[in-house]
Amino acid sequence: MIAVIDYGINNIASVAKALKKINAEFIVTNQKKEIEDSDTIILPGVGSFLEGMNTLKSLDLNTILIREIKEKKKKFLGICLGMQMLATKGFEPEESLGLDLIGGKVEKINTGSPFIKIPHMGWNNIKIINPALFKNLNDDNFYFTHSYHFIPDEFNIVSATVTHGVEMVACLEKDNIVAVQFHPELSQQAGLTFLKNFLER
Amino acid sequence: MIKKRIIPVMTYNGMSLIKTKQFDKPRMVGNPIQAARVYNARNVDELAFIDIYATKQNRKINIELVKLILNECFMPVSVGGGISTLSDIRDLLHAGADKVIIKNSAIYHPEFIEEAVLTFGSQCIVIAVDAIFDGKRYKIYNSQGLDITLEEFVVKMHKLNVGEFLITSVNHEGMMNGFDINLARIMYNLTDKPNIIHGGAGNPQHFLELFNQVNISAAAAASIFHFTQYTPKDIKDLLKQNNIPVRNV
Repeated sequence: MIAVIDYGINNIASVAKALKKINAEFIVTNQKKEIEDSDTIILPGVGSFLEGMNTLKSLDLNTILIREIKEKKKKFLGICLGMQMLATKGFEPEESLGLDLIGGKVEKINTGSPFIKIPHMGWNNIKIINPALFKNLNDDNFYFTHSYHFIPDEFNIVSATVTHGVEMVACLEKDNIVAVQFHPELSQQAGLTFLKNFLER
Repeated sequence: MIKKRIIPVMTYNGMSLIKTKQFDKPRMVGNPIQAARVYNARNVDELAFIDIYATKQNRKINIELVKLILNECFMPVSVGGGISTLSDIRDLLHAGADKVIIKNSAIYHPEFIEEAVLTFGSQCIVIAVDAIFDGKRYKIYNSQGLDITLEEFVVKMHKLNVGEFLITSVNHEGMMNGFDINLARIMYNLTDKPNIIHGGAGNPQHFLELFNQVNISAAAAASIFHFTQYTPKDIKDLLKQNNIPVRNV
């Protein structure tokens, strides 16, 4: 059973719809017991780093997530803000601490050009470094919408990158953790295939 | 590289999908759920669904219908019509909409837009700009007959940090004889937010003309999909041949 974490500010409906489409069994929850009983955790998210962390903390989800992911090594997928909050720290809107499950920081995108705008929003092609999660894709474009990006301490965990003025992390894989900056749930067939690959991982 | 988006627009009258010409003469063009299913099967980049008479008829958009439409879609969907409160936006986002499209409240109650951006983030607030050219200037087409120039409205919304603009040329809408490229150019100069240009597409060449002449993010269309055999893929094939970056379909 997959637990899709609902912490109020994230867009759960599209993730639930995509999981249903690929016939995955899941529950949408913020309850400790249900998260503990699951074998896979998905943390979606939109919004700012600080607000996201504060909301997780207010529901005591930060300690539950750290225990389930770090100690129990549960299979985990973080999407967008759900990826970013894995970092050691973030800077949106000010410096604050993350879950520190993957060493790194989340900084505002500097595209290096006034003509390349942020947010980085829309469909962009990724560069695949580790193909395991990207097999059977009919297209390498995924849907992104973000203004901050994850800079990991170690680069050998990067499975895919995306370029928007600057090359950024699109997918990270470390042990039981997979984290993506794009939205597989909004990325049509490519996104559904990615989710299937993750569940079969 | 970020791709240029092609966005089918579904306009709804409370009962059926309809297509107007210059915001008049509505024709029924089918069922929104079926249409959404077809667009999803055609692997489109994004979809917009707007209940264009919700404000005029003083109703709220039908959330249950929106859910049924969204159920068919695995791409970003923007939804608009009659949005006037934060709870209207919350209901649509909860139903699974990715962005909301707001027009009348933006014209008459700009303070609401400020509140919406602060509450939900700018990325999900799309402002509908219905621009009408009177022979001299572009004005904002509105039900109360207020005299608002395109420039003052767009600059005001830009300052409120909205996420995107969906710009419809009232003069070109439904006419299928090409986009209002002059309007697109003016919008490009007014704001660096993503601009979606809508109104007038009748064949794939029209999209190429638009993207070749103005650096905008997206083009939206309806008539071409209702009344011709062209699909989003035909448009993208032509754009791709001409080195305009588009997503594979």
